[in-house]
Amino acid sequence: MELVVTRNFGNPKPWTLASYRESGGYEALERVLKEMSPEDVTELIKASNLTGRGGAFFPTGLKWEFVRKDPKTPRYVVVNADESEPGTYVNRLSLELDPHMTIEGMIIAAYASNAERGYFYIRGEYGLSHERVKAALREAYDAGFLGQGICGRDDFNLEVEFRRGAGAYIVGEETALFNSLEGKRGNPRFKPPFPTNFGVWGLPTAINNVETLAAAPAIVMKGAEWFKDLGIGDAAGTKMYCLSGNVVNPVCVELPLGVSAREVIMDHGGGVPEGRTLKGFKPGGASSAPLTPAELDAPLEPKSMAELGTIMGTGGVVVFDDTACMVDVAYRDALFFEDESCGFCIPCREGTPNLVQICERILHGQGTMDDLDLLEELGASMMASFCGLGHFAHQPVRGAVSRFREEFEAYIHGGHRRAET
Amino acid sequence: MLNSPANFQVNGRAAARPYCMAIHHTELETPPGREPLPEAERPKLDTLRERLQPLKELPGSSIEALYAAQELFSYVPPEAITMIAEELKIPESQVFGVATFYTMFSLEPQPPNVLRVCRDLSCHLAGAPKLIGALEQELGVPRGHASPDGQFIVKVVSCLGLCDMQPAMLVNLDQHGPVMPDDVPNLLDDIRNGAG
Ligand SMILES: Cc1cc2nc3c(=O)[nH]c(=O)nc-3n(C[C@H](O)[C@H](O)[C@H](O)COP(=O)(O)O)c2cc1C
Ligand code: SF4
Ligand code: FES
Repeated sequence: MELVVTRNFGNPKPWTLASYRESGGYEALERVLKEMSPEDVTELIKASNLTGRGGAFFPTGLKWEFVRKDPKTPRYVVVNADESEPGTYVNRLSLELDPHMTIEGMIIAAYASNAERGYFYIRGEYGLSHERVKAALREAYDAGFLGQGICGRDDFNLEVEFRRGAGAYIVGEETALFNSLEGKRGNPRFKPPFPTNFGVWGLPTAINNVETLAAAPAIVMKGAEWFKDLGIGDAAGTKMYCLSGNVVNPVCVELPLGVSAREVIMDHGGGVPEGRTLKGFKPGGASSAPLTPAELDAPLEPKSMAELGTIMGTGGVVVFDDTACMVDVAYRDALFFEDESCGFCIPCREGTPNLVQICERILHGQGTMDDLDLLEELGASMMASFCGLGHFAHQPVRGAVSRFREEFEAYIHGGHRRAET
Repeated sequence: MLNSPANFQVNGRAAARPYCMAIHHTELETPPGREPLPEAERPKLDTLRERLQPLKELPGSSIEALYAAQELFSYVPPEAITMIAEELKIPESQVFGVATFYTMFSLEPQPPNVLRVCRDLSCHLAGAPKLIGALEQELGVPRGHASPDGQFIVKVVSCLGLCDMQPAMLVNLDQHGPVMPDDVPNLLDDIRNGAG
């Protein structure tokens, strides 16, 4: 299996410019600036079917084209490295081990979308990533890959500012991230207008996840068809899947987009610890509804996950064995969203503590069967939330009820003690 | 999570959470960030003003400004909020809003070692509750309170993106994991000896 975004991870000091150059780094940028127009780049990326790895899987080439076609200037590129979805650590590994690959992708994105300014925004807790990315940006400036007249092209400039967050999951939502960059509270903004026309400072902005940008240089070097063929079926390219929970090896592996959960969990994660049995798994972080072992062969890609009533999300696969209590799992997810709701809109601000309350009631043996219906009703009302957080927050709880209903009923009808918290 | 379920008891039994968290929080807590800076700390305000100067050139840098204050004082005192507003020419309400929005800023003095322990799914499955319990026991205070020696505080936080090190924690910004309850005494000793 050919690696794309993790191919340098095993190199000595892969985070340095010297090491990155040794493995062909910045050759894609040089080729782009020598041989391609911005239009060529967006056509190439569109043809590769690269889609956003931040979870929404929007076509990346199209996004850059929208930004380029907006006449307002200056245009911006933003790296979204706010990764905070429980069970997800793929961006952290890229930032710590190979920051230059994302930076090169960012510069290519800026060229393709005709942007001249950029922000590299990393969540506040990623201390090592801050150091590595700041050092890498300095190296890129010194080598002439950033700044004025990049690679001798006096018509291409890009000034990038490093920024860090300070603890807030919601800032990963793109419009909330713009508010954070502008020095405001990280509340989301209404869409439309979309970031491609009205991003940071109200200007056209191409915002992308770390993993999306990191894939761009390889596509330039090896071609759209090559990238497309890496995926399974209709899915294009690779994805970093990361494992955690009740799994023998909590590791991150880059695999074709669309591999089965079985391959990820069993072959790469080593399955559940000895003597235990697999009870279920989450395909992509806290926001995704859990699935059962019967669904192990479903391909981990956006379309098939949507058909199963869950989401592909971030690729953060969380594994549950028979010692995990699914009511408690649902409760954990609810606690997370209650804490991380930004409080701006009522369905989410009031809905998330209600989710917690219902789960608590059930865990304490005070729940009723009506509570299970109430969860459905609450979920429906939370669809009126202002942003994706509110739309997703109830899905894992309701998903747990629909697939592991007997565990909820066991609590309601007695016979289960409150799980350890 | 400000209130663990154990806070709510009905007839000795844990009860479900009150309907509106917002109301409950205001009842339980005095508004933070109102205590004026102690006299001995005031000279540091001049240092803060100096450190804010380069940020004037960078629009939208209120987060960095608040980090600068927190580095100097261990927290964000009200005087710093006023000064950041003046220097960066943004409303004081906005600075206060930002300081209270992000979980990494504190409006109360903090011990030098902030231990952030992840309570989310993967770490939970890997034993985070036991880790948190061991830290509380070893330090002799519950989460959210400074230890008697004034050196530590345990904060129970959302996923740190260290799920491969489950159960994981941060000592300030240093990553640790997996940390088992038995590792806690040594870990705390290492931090005390400056090796954490
Ligand atoms: C609540 C919420 C949190 C999000 N968090 C992140 C995040 O941490 N990182 C990220 O890249 N995208 C996150 N997104 C998605 C972004 O809004 C956006 O779609 C993405 O950054 C676009 O980049 P991409 O096209 O490369 O995926 C989040 C979305 C929502 C609704
Ligand atoms: S849905 Fe939640 S996170 Fe999104 S704006 Fe509303 S309160 Fe904030
Ligand atoms: S769930 Fe604990 S670090 Fe991610």
